[in-house]
Amino acid sequence: VIAVARLRRAVRPASLGVEIGAALNLVGALLKWLSLSALMPAAVAFGYGEPPWPFLAAGAIAAGVGWSLEAVTQGKERVGAREGFLVVSLIWLLAAAFGALPYLFWDGSQLDRPLDALFESMSGFTTTGASVVTDLTELSRSIAIWRQFTQWLGGMGIIVLALAILPRLRVGGRQLMESELPGPEMESLTTRIRDTARRLWLIYLALTAAEFVLLSAYGWSGADARMTPYQAIAHAFTTMPTGGFSPQARSVGAFAAVTQWTIVVFMILAGANFALMYRAVVRRAPRVAVRDGEFRLYLALLLLGSLVLLADLLGRGIYEGEAAVRHAVFQTVAIMTTTGYASADFTQWPVLAAVVLLALMFAGGSAASTAGSIKVVRHLLVGKLLRRELDQTVHPEVVVPLRIAGTVVDERTVRAVIAFVLLYVGLFAAGTMALALDAERAGLPVSALDAAFAAATTLGNVGPAFGFAGPMGSFEPFTDVSAGTMIALMWLGRLEVIPIVVLFTRRYWRA
Amino acid sequence: VRIVIVGAGQVGTTIVEALHDEHELVVVDLDTARLAALSYRYDVTTIEGNGASRRTLQEAGIAQSDLLIACTSRDEVNIISALFARPLAPDTRTIARTANVEYLEVWQERELDVDFIVSSELETAYAVSRLIGVPAARQTDVFAEGQVQIVEFDVEPGARGEDVVGRLLREARIPPNSKVASIIRGGQAIVPRGDQSIQVGDRIIIIGSPEAAREWSAILAPETGRVDDVVIYGAGRTGVAIARVLLAQQIRVRLIEADPERARRVAEELPDARVFNATGIDPDFIERERIGHTRAAIFAMRDDPKNHYAATLAKLHGVPFTIAIVHDTISMEVFERAGTDVAINPRLVTAEEIVRFAHDPRTQQVAMLEGDRYEILDVTVRPESRLVHRPFRELPMTGSLIGAIVRDGEAIFPHGDDVLQPGDRAIIFTESSRASEVERAL
Repeated sequence: VIAVARLRRAVRPASLGVEIGAALNLVGALLKWLSLSALMPAAVAFGYGEPPWPFLAAGAIAAGVGWSLEAVTQGKERVGAREGFLVVSLIWLLAAAFGALPYLFWDGSQLDRPLDALFESMSGFTTTGASVVTDLTELSRSIAIWRQFTQWLGGMGIIVLALAILPRLRVGGRQLMESELPGPEMESLTTRIRDTARRLWLIYLALTAAEFVLLSAYGWSGADARMTPYQAIAHAFTTMPTGGFSPQARSVGAFAAVTQWTIVVFMILAGANFALMYRAVVRRAPRVAVRDGEFRLYLALLLLGSLVLLADLLGRGIYEGEAAVRHAVFQTVAIMTTTGYASADFTQWPVLAAVVLLALMFAGGSAASTAGSIKVVRHLLVGKLLRRELDQTVHPEVVVPLRIAGTVVDERTVRAVIAFVLLYVGLFAAGTMALALDAERAGLPVSALDAAFAAATTLGNVGPAFGFAGPMGSFEPFTDVSAGTMIALMWLGRLEVIPIVVLFTRRYWRA
Repeated sequence: VRIVIVGAGQVGTTIVEALHDEHELVVVDLDTARLAALSYRYDVTTIEGNGASRRTLQEAGIAQSDLLIACTSRDEVNIISALFARPLAPDTRTIARTANVEYLEVWQERELDVDFIVSSELETAYAVSRLIGVPAARQTDVFAEGQVQIVEFDVEPGARGEDVVGRLLREARIPPNSKVASIIRGGQAIVPRGDQSIQVGDRIIIIGSPEAAREWSAILAPETGRVDDVVIYGAGRTGVAIARVLLAQQIRVRLIEADPERARRVAEELPDARVFNATGIDPDFIERERIGHTRAAIFAMRDDPKNHYAATLAKLHGVPFTIAIVHDTISMEVFERAGTDVAINPRLVTAEEIVRFAHDPRTQQVAMLEGDRYEILDVTVRPESRLVHRPFRELPMTGSLIGAIVRDGEAIFPHGDDVLQPGDRAIIFTESSRASEVERAL
């Protein structure tokens, strides 16, 4: 609170163009409400006879910080577009900090360093799924479910959730939501932003419930003996947000083939456009999905990736028959939708498979899905842009508007997409370099490919990397500098870079 | 017959010129000078006033008139005038001129209570299309934004399609997404059932997609050199209307527009056309884009001298066929004298269309074929129709044909198993005498 007051005084000059007070007030309110989520793992802890106080304490602290932020600042009916970037960036940072508290308070031997706890929590909320835990069996059930639950909360977005249930954000929420929702431009399902947010959450909730029911049915019927209701809910919590955390050390590889295929289907749904799904299913217009260019390219890329992996796996005799198909498809889907589950340890696979998986990390899911990374629609747009550039080198006067699914994309959006892709690739390059140099300094066995994997996986919110941080490994060996770098990458990746980067420009703060 | 004409501009004047001999005319306009000029030349009553005012209409004696022609240059005035006239004089037929294709569509869907709507842009576009559109076609009508075409062909001895001509229809290889709506042989109409065949010398009417119309054209007139590539100068409303009609016939269209904002908007509106933001008279541009290789160029810019210059330049670069859209009556002569192949004046075309209607009045029609023997109806199916939810196979055979249905903006060419649904727009080919019966059934 004192720091905030000091900050306000320091940046008070008349030339300041951002209403920091109003932004912080809203952040406080959001944090206050978010703190309620600690009740869920507390209840689980209570049910299993584990101590619930780490969660209750974390919740109390978050509520206290939120409440005092609200108290020392002046709220406004409507936060502006500019303040929106600050609100979104801060709330995600604070959510990660809040999520880290239970790991710190919990009396296990892992996650007891603040940076590790923050890494795990940021990886949770941003639905990355990278973990610094080395021994998952040691985690208590309540701590493990909190890991899963943070991903579920972060998947559809904190602000989108707040829009759906809090009355306060009724006005001026669109800007906030757009900077949080993945994809270049949000398609409104309804004219009222609140209804759109509700519908998105409704689909999210319904699919999560459906997955839970299916998975528990496998466990109950004996089709998959290891799928207990606890495991079913844990995986339902991390599939739909394309998260990737699993309480199992072998990830989804621990379960039966039928479970893995089911999860493949739900991962594909999680990476598809929710607005499109709503129209296809609720409004009974399945043809919109068939005709949608992004959806088609999304499926085509999944198919292509699967086929290349399959050919490689079969060709080298690593797997045979159904297992080869299953692992090729599962790993392609898990990586491209940025879920990051593993059905097998792909660090043991040949280098071609590794390169294909690295490339898929840059594809990502569809716009308005819970997936991270660049996203298929942007690739589509950039492809069309390149084609237009070639066209115009021969025919300089030709006017070719770019279209996605038949609608014209205005040139400002096109420029924003180019800026995003450049920033994304730039951050990936910088991150790779930082991780490689830092690992060399610390004498860690990190190859250039491993560093690229680690940067791409955190920036794209995928999860597993290569080498020791592979799907069966842990990010624990990385140094603190690397961990901090990757925390930043996850944060940047989840908010699609621009809302955060813009905070570091002088023009943002000037009147 | 007593006729009230609202608007004494170029269109109004042309109409007066054509009709003043036989009919009693009342002309309404706001401009006294125009009215005076008109009344010196022709024996007409003139009334100074706003045509979109009920008082003016009453003053013009609308109740005693048989026809109202609203043909000012302002769409809304024309439509309001026609709508106001309806309750004042329920028996008076109304014609409104509009430049807006949307009004025309609303009218085609029977949502606008006007007897006849004429769009200058569309009439001009059809005039162009008749010159360079589907070869061998006697008449072409387009429905549902060009997705459905109705084409009338003469089957000449040179026709290529052995698979079609002379075969029983049930065995003939009819191009997909098309139907033979009627065969006219020796003045007699034949309902095209499976045991009939198309013979040389017949005149046939086809309903189908633009691709199908093109296939029919290729079958029936293999020799005709087809214009498949057109350049349109000027992407104003006329240029765009022409482009739309030609694109619907699968003709490659390039539009040249000097105004960047306008060029961008048209490029967004017409995804299938190539739009260039250029003046079109830069020799480098003409050379680079090979404008001289095009089969036909249409000049639809707003300025007659500009069109004239561009048309002459295009001729110099070797464009074989040039059509100019002119706005001043005197320009027609200048253009044709200077070597432009055809000059079209949209106002004259519109006036001609209105006069045609005034001479041969037929209410509630959308398009007519073979004089007045057939009509094409464009009807939205009501939910309470007894034909709804029944497969086409089971619909009664009465000599009328549902050639296409438009559902969710997309044309479907129905087969026996398809089912008619409420809200579908049905494009129906019917004998004129049965038109009202068909409408009632739907």
